Amino acid sequence: MIARRSRFASVVLQILTVLVVLFTAVPLVWMALSSIKPTNDIMSHDPVFFFRPTLEHYRGLFTNGNHVDRYLVNSLVAAGVSSLIATALGALGGYGLSRSTMRGKRHLAFWIISTRMAPIAAVLLPLFLIFRRLGLLDSLSGLVVAYLTFNLPFAIWIMAAFFDSLPGSLEEAARVDGCSRWAAFWRISLPLTRAGLVTTWILCLVFSWNDYSFAQTFSGTSSQTLPIAATQLITQTGIDWGQLTAVGVIVVVPMVIAGLAVRRWLVTGLTLGAVTGE
Amino acid sequence: MSKVTLIGGVSLTGVGGDNWSKMFSDPAVSASWKISAFYFVATVGIEMLLGVGIAILVHERLFGRNILVSILLMPMFVAPVIVGLLGRFLTDSSFGLYSWLLRLVGIDSNVLGSPRTALAAVVALDVWEWTPLIMLITLAGLSAVPQPLIEAASLDGAGYFKRLWYVVIPSISGVLLVALLIRAMDAIRFFDIIWITTNGGPADTTKIIPLRLYEIAFRFFDLGYAAAIGLTMLLFSIIVANLFVALLEKKKGAAQ
Repeated sequence: MIARRSRFASVVLQILTVLVVLFTAVPLVWMALSSIKPTNDIMSHDPVFFFRPTLEHYRGLFTNGNHVDRYLVNSLVAAGVSSLIATALGALGGYGLSRSTMRGKRHLAFWIISTRMAPIAAVLLPLFLIFRRLGLLDSLSGLVVAYLTFNLPFAIWIMAAFFDSLPGSLEEAARVDGCSRWAAFWRISLPLTRAGLVTTWILCLVFSWNDYSFAQTFSGTSSQTLPIAATQLITQTGIDWGQLTAVGVIVVVPMVIAGLAVRRWLVTGLTLGAVTGE
Repeated sequence: MSKVTLIGGVSLTGVGGDNWSKMFSDPAVSASWKISAFYFVATVGIEMLLGVGIAILVHERLFGRNILVSILLMPMFVAPVIVGLLGRFLTDSSFGLYSWLLRLVGIDSNVLGSPRTALAAVVALDVWEWTPLIMLITLAGLSAVPQPLIEAASLDGAGYFKRLWYVVIPSISGVLLVALLIRAMDAIRFFDIIWITTNGGPADTTKIIPLRLYEIAFRFFDLGYAAAIGLTMLLFSIIVANLFVALLEKKKGAAQ
């Protein structure tokens, strides 16, 4: 399609591309710049593009009783543990879903995915009641369980899609050579879906790390995560935008890096296997 | 279908269909349904159009496509809370970058704070975050379009836009449907962006149904009523999920 393109068309294409990049990147670049900008320059009526970079906002986050490090640890534990459990169980469940030929499989698959698609606002309420009964409110284990409610069905589905894409003949060959079912899964299929495992893990990590609704509803002073820290910088006396943009950078950068690292498999993961990547 | 009292544990008093009849006659709730419907159609619609457009644009490029796609994908990984807070930061009427740009073209207003523009502003934030997802999925579809098909159309004298409309778009329609369904499911799931920017205000102009539900459940503690609304929302996602699963089945059937 590209061979014969007029000069005019390629100029238009260039301009459109620049516009799209600006639309996408300006908010993020501005956030990153503001996080190293002196407060006076942030609050300036006309935007300041040249300034002396400073790390005072980042320093302020970890001192003066702000203790963002605690939120950071909470985030790491809640999102990390939940996504690891989801990936491990998801690999087992996904394998079962992919290989099983039982009747009613379609209904089971639908039931699993519908728990992930349920509106969060509708899930919060019953979970809140259950958690209160079980004493899981304001605890990291509670958050891990809460994140599993959406991560586990998601992981099962993606892993099933990745297992579906493996040729069944490999496993059959292993079985013929005397492998048990478990050995065929553990030694043949699982290593072959390494990319699937990593993608599943990272997507689960991103979704739970970025969560606000569950953390806001279930966590108290001892289990708050980074997104909560960001909103707590909004106080009656005003918003410290320098620190807020710094928290923003801390929340966003790791997830962007992790997400882009698995770009090749993102399409498969995010469409739950309905579309396979480039 | 119960009235739930929170004092001293949970006790259920049957109230029959009261919560349900209340839901259908409550003007605040029906207003929220309308805002939700608008928000849903606007965000998903704009994201589909923009996402497909950008995917076609990116697909036309020969050089630097990798880095371009990486840049364009970034918003997808940003926590919705941060998207909301960034929205507030950029549109702050005294020092926001986008307010400054708007002032340059003669619009001087607090877009998130004014009832006339707040809904459009939160729609824009959602579009910023989720258009990349549509682009990514469409792009995967575009690279699977068989090249001979396009060449054949080209030999038959079809111009660029004709080829796009009659050859390319029809052959990625399945992928587009997946993108639409995936986005539709998530569009009704999340409400973080509005929660953190306007929290339903000003004057309830952005109070979509999940926010209303949250308020009824956790501020007024009318859990039975909230559950009735929650179940209605669930109905919608079940319909979308069913469509999605049916589509997958069809695809698998075709592959075998």
